[in-house]
Amino acid sequence: MEQNKEMTASESLQLITETFNKNRKDILRSSAKFFIFWGALLTAISLIIYLLWHFKGNPSWNFLWFAMPVIGYPLAALMGRYKDGQPQNEVSKMLGGVWGVFGAFAITLSAIAILLVPMNVTLIIVIIMGLAECMSGVLLKNWPIIIAGFLLGVGGAVFAMLVKGEGQLLIFTLGGILLLLTGCIMKLQYK
Amino acid sequence: MFPKLDPLLHSELRLAVMSILAGVDEADFTYLKKQTGATSGNLSVQIDKLTAADYITVEKGFKGKMPRTTCKITPTGQEAFSNYVESLKEYLSAGK
Repeated sequence: MEQNKEMTASESLQLITETFNKNRKDILRSSAKFFIFWGALLTAISLIIYLLWHFKGNPSWNFLWFAMPVIGYPLAALMGRYKDGQPQNEVSKMLGGVWGVFGAFAITLSAIAILLVPMNVTLIIVIIMGLAECMSGVLLKNWPIIIAGFLLGVGGAVFAMLVKGEGQLLIFTLGGILLLLTGCIMKLQYK
Repeated sequence: MFPKLDPLLHSELRLAVMSILAGVDEADFTYLKKQTGATSGNLSVQIDKLTAADYITVEKGFKGKMPRTTCKITPTGQEAFSNYVESLKEYLSAGK
């Protein structure tokens, strides 16, 4: 790129548009890896707990959910460190905010349900997870993600009310796969 | 009468730097270099010119043990960039 090149008005406007779009795409494509990472982790942990509960017959394996933030947050922070100075734009910041708030709700409610007031945590978490997924779709202006989030929240709520025991965990496996797919869609959308 | 285009922004590399910074909170020198494809020397000169005009601020620090130079657009820079885009649109609509 040359600093003294004479540009016409339309060339200048084109340069602004292209630079702006390229920058936006690069930032959002870079955010996609966090969706893939958290989706894979959620899928793996929910399946592990499901299998342990199913074969050992003990719901105490649910305590393994706390491994998710313990493993996830340090690894996500490490991934963020090696982003080659990738900046944040409004959309990537809001995506981080939406999922950060979801995480805070999920961890706090799980702790309250275990220690203080028993409640159907699966029902609550699957609704807020669907909502967070929907919000992500709105921010990314992507209808498949919005619909997937809506179906996860509403369908998951019905599923959580109808299915009892370890079978409930499979809704989180589906949620993890949806997160993974969201990351893959973002990679394709901002190629 | 058309508004005069800001000569500081009417330059390919400086305009690209401002276009990037207008859409983010802040950006590393290395990121700007990668996105614009400019050489370090050339980019430094243009960043100095934008800093001197108070269009951007430059902060030098460290990320771990590595030196890091961060650029950020100022309110003056935002306004100049918006005015520049508006002027371009006026030029183009008049030419139709």
